[in-house]
Amino acid sequence: MTRRASRTAGWGLAAAAAGIAAWAWLGASAAGTAPVAHYVLDPAKSSLEFAFDQAGAQNKGKFTRFAVSFDFSPENPAAGRLEVTVEMSSADTGDQERDDTLRGADLFAVAKFPQSHYTATQFAKTATGYEAVGKLTLRGVTRDVRVPFTFRNATENGVAVGYMSGKTTLRRLDFGVGQGDWKATDQLGNDVGVSFALRLAAAAH
Amino acid sequence: MGLRNTTERWGAVSQLLHWLIVGLLIVQVTLAEMADELPVGVKKLTILARHKSFGITILALALLRLAWRLRNPTPLLPGTLKPYERALARITHVMLYVLLFAMPLSGWTMSSARGFPVSWFHLFQLPDLVPKNKALYEALLTTHGTLAAVLAVVVALHVAGALKHHFIHKDDVLRRMLPLPPATSGTRR
Repeated sequence: MTRRASRTAGWGLAAAAAGIAAWAWLGASAAGTAPVAHYVLDPAKSSLEFAFDQAGAQNKGKFTRFAVSFDFSPENPAAGRLEVTVEMSSADTGDQERDDTLRGADLFAVAKFPQSHYTATQFAKTATGYEAVGKLTLRGVTRDVRVPFTFRNATENGVAVGYMSGKTTLRRLDFGVGQGDWKATDQLGNDVGVSFALRLAAAAH
Repeated sequence: MGLRNTTERWGAVSQLLHWLIVGLLIVQVTLAEMADELPVGVKKLTILARHKSFGITILALALLRLAWRLRNPTPLLPGTLKPYERALARITHVMLYVLLFAMPLSGWTMSSARGFPVSWFHLFQLPDLVPKNKALYEALLTTHGTLAAVLAVVVALHVAGALKHHFIHKDDVLRRMLPLPPATSGTRR
């Protein structure tokens, strides 16, 4: 290699390095400045429901007490963080006897496991919306759960709000929801659909 | 014995439907009593799910039976019956038909009012007949039980009548609902 060629190559490398550095800096800067809003739940306009097969027929229930904390920006989903806490005793299937059974030791065991938690720190954009990858702790068992969802932000009366909805299917026996006779799935199906439609209001971090 | 009824005796289809429903009613009473004994749980759900599925089966069979009866001759009552016996037989039979519909329909409506949709043997889900309504559920629970008690009385009358015909009148009234040849004697019509 001649001296001239070597100098040219050197400059080329330097330029490339500078370019990469600049790109990295810009990228980091974009990530750093994208507004990752902090949202909390508007309980009055939100729902968290579940659907289950009872004796071969579809039945529904809902949780009336749960909390959501969500840091999210549609432009930068990777920086998201979702925390959901559900008060298991708030399960309401519209039937007192059934709700009491659900709260009992063989199913939700609310005396021992009063809350369930979902924490997601990985978010990705998908063809139809987003997907959260997180950990669900239910009845003392923690498992990875993916939750696809859609998110739309808006400004209502000067307040930034977010609408988040989605659904997923859990297998109750993965979490031990069903001990003793309830391990059988013919009268209470293993698959439980969970769906949510949340109104979130932006709040200070 | 042909498939269709004649004015003399019940055909095979009517006999099959009659005895099938008799068998299912015995199953229904047994399941209902088993469920009443059990605490809330999977076993009770299982028994009640079967009770509902058999109930819907009876409803379908009752529909078939009524349709078949309306398109077939009905065997005549023996001419020896007194007018009040004739009336009693008529009332008993009408009530049996009414109850064969009322029992499953009150049960199905009761499940709907409770908010528990009915499935037929896990194969398909039936539509709810009424929206969820706790007061209606409570009322229908009582009604379903009362109808069952009425059915027990009417069935007792029906059986007593059949046995009276068979053993006292020694006529064909019971035999013609069985796959037996007509008696050679005792039929006076």
